[in-house]
Amino acid sequence: MTSLLDSIFSVEFLFAVLRVSTPLIFPALGVAITAMSGNINIGLEGIMLIAAFTGVIVSIYTESLMLALLAGVASGIFFGAALGYFHLKLKADIILAAVALNFLASGLTIFLLIVITGGRNTSALRSLTFPSFSIPLLRSIPILGPVLSGHNIMTYVAFLSVLVYYIVMFKTPLGLRIRAVGQNPDAARSVGIDVDRVKLYALMISGVFGALGGLYLSMGYVSWFSRDMVAGRGFIAVAAATMGSNLSLGTLLGSMLFGLVNTLTIYIASLDIPSDLVQSIPYLATVIVLAVYSARNFAPRKRRAAHRRRQRAQAHGKDT
Amino acid sequence: MKRILMLAVAGLILVSGISFAGGGQEAASDSTRILLYLNGTRGDQSFFDSASRGIEIVSQQFDVETRIVEGGYDSSAWQPDLAQLAGGGWDIIIAGTWQLAEYVQDLAVQYPETTFIVYDTSVDYSAGDFSNVYSILYSQNEGSFIVGALAGMLTASDLDRARSGNTIGFIGGMDIPVINDFRVGFEQGARQVNPNVRILAAYVGNFNDPARGKELALAQIEQGADVIFAAAGESGLGALEAAGEQNVFSIGVDSDQYMLLRDSQPNIAAAVVTSMLKNVDNSVVYAIERYLDGTLAIGQAELLGIREDGVGIARNENFERIVPQAMIDELDRLIEMIDAGEIVVDTAIGQ
Repeated sequence: MTSLLDSIFSVEFLFAVLRVSTPLIFPALGVAITAMSGNINIGLEGIMLIAAFTGVIVSIYTESLMLALLAGVASGIFFGAALGYFHLKLKADIILAAVALNFLASGLTIFLLIVITGGRNTSALRSLTFPSFSIPLLRSIPILGPVLSGHNIMTYVAFLSVLVYYIVMFKTPLGLRIRAVGQNPDAARSVGIDVDRVKLYALMISGVFGALGGLYLSMGYVSWFSRDMVAGRGFIAVAAATMGSNLSLGTLLGSMLFGLVNTLTIYIASLDIPSDLVQSIPYLATVIVLAVYSARNFAPRKRRAAHRRRQRAQAHGKDT
Repeated sequence: MKRILMLAVAGLILVSGISFAGGGQEAASDSTRILLYLNGTRGDQSFFDSASRGIEIVSQQFDVETRIVEGGYDSSAWQPDLAQLAGGGWDIIIAGTWQLAEYVQDLAVQYPETTFIVYDTSVDYSAGDFSNVYSILYSQNEGSFIVGALAGMLTASDLDRARSGNTIGFIGGMDIPVINDFRVGFEQGARQVNPNVRILAAYVGNFNDPARGKELALAQIEQGADVIFAAAGESGLGALEAAGEQNVFSIGVDSDQYMLLRDSQPNIAAAVVTSMLKNVDNSVVYAIERYLDGTLAIGQAELLGIREDGVGIARNENFERIVPQAMIDELDRLIEMIDAGEIVVDTAIGQ
């Protein structure tokens, strides 16, 4: 037990939290940006899977990390746009379209894998991987240095993406439009904003974020593609973004909370605790955090509503 | 033009259909006709290659007629494939893995004249009259006992990858009886040779999350483990990678994972000291041999362990390179003891 506590409060544990959080931060940002535009995107699971696959295949055939990255991101944009096409143009329910996308991703990647490898074992394809990156100055800081330095470059990209998300969302005209469309599409339309186009852009950007998450899984975390390897991270991202109110810092913290809880379950998994219980901890944490969150949100709203009622009553009183 | 093409295609289909049906009825020869149906393709370097190898050995050793049909990975095609093949008048149809067990159950009732053999799974004998189905199960607990003993010796050794913690790790796919059967065997084997060994065990929760498998293995290594045994499918591959990166030992499962990874992922493969094998090939030969003798226990499930060569360990070049002769001798001694019934390995199945 003491050795477990030692290892939980260790540099390696905190390092692992960042590593586990990375493939959640990316899709959570993807969920957040579509949520800001007024859509719930549960298709990140499929987008991640397709990008994870595309990256591996392109890296093997071109031996270029850059091309693999570009192809992976392009596949993410493409499937983000495809989701937009089904929802915005063909008026399909976006939840159903996303479910279809997830099924398609699962089947398509397996099918193509068999076609390309001739049915050989998936591990026979060795992908290029993104390098790890040690930050010279940061490294020398005690405790913090070893935790923050030496990560896969995609982990740093994930944190940068949070910044990018903030800038796009709150400092650019596109961000303003996305928020306007999400909060009141009719008002946005009345000032000449092409609502569908803005929603499509949001979905395409979410495809970029999702693709980066998928690429990290197959080309950073491990170095191959295997079937359904995203394993639910695209769905956890929905909860993480929701917890963070789709704001940049909130989404980051939401993802990292899941990363923390997941890493915790990994470290306590080797204790003699029933594994079903251990595996349910992240979900229990979700329920608890969402409950606390909504309770906190609910209270002021009630107060505000009561306040408004009082004001109205007062105004009414003056009139008569 | 189009019509001619259509006619040609229709004709082709007709002809091929006839030849297929004809192929099914050429039961003129007296030799036993054996069909192996794979719900996948050859070249997986695992179960299906092993089963095919068994059939090839059978066809060389005995006067039998054999055929292997590769069903591919489209699960919706397996049931109709099998149903069509079952009508072909085969004496024996072999189909493996739990995914086909249910289909075999249906067909066994329809074709009581045909003997069905399923491997690595069992039909549910309480669900009907399956007096023409023989099920092969593998004693993964016995195989795991041997790799557990090896792990117990490796962690106590002063070999390159061994550390001082006297700790080993088990990573399972899910907390289910068949996976726990690996675990209890592994733990018993390790304690047999190293009573004080500390054993960490964790479950991924699925078989398709290599990232989480890797993370679990890294955490175990962090807690002092220097031998990782992963029985977790694709998730387990992540654990093998962790062992390769952290320069400790790993043990593969089901097929020889060193050979599988040697060319594509050499640094992962180098850590895979051995794998706990399910010898599908031997079990197929074992079953056919007894079928021809008339001693095969058709209508039952049989558990093939070390004695029957149903399970074993991979003794490849990496194993020979890493494991000292003294340890190999000890492993052989333990195998003999299990053979002779002097050691009874615990099981997690049926409890």
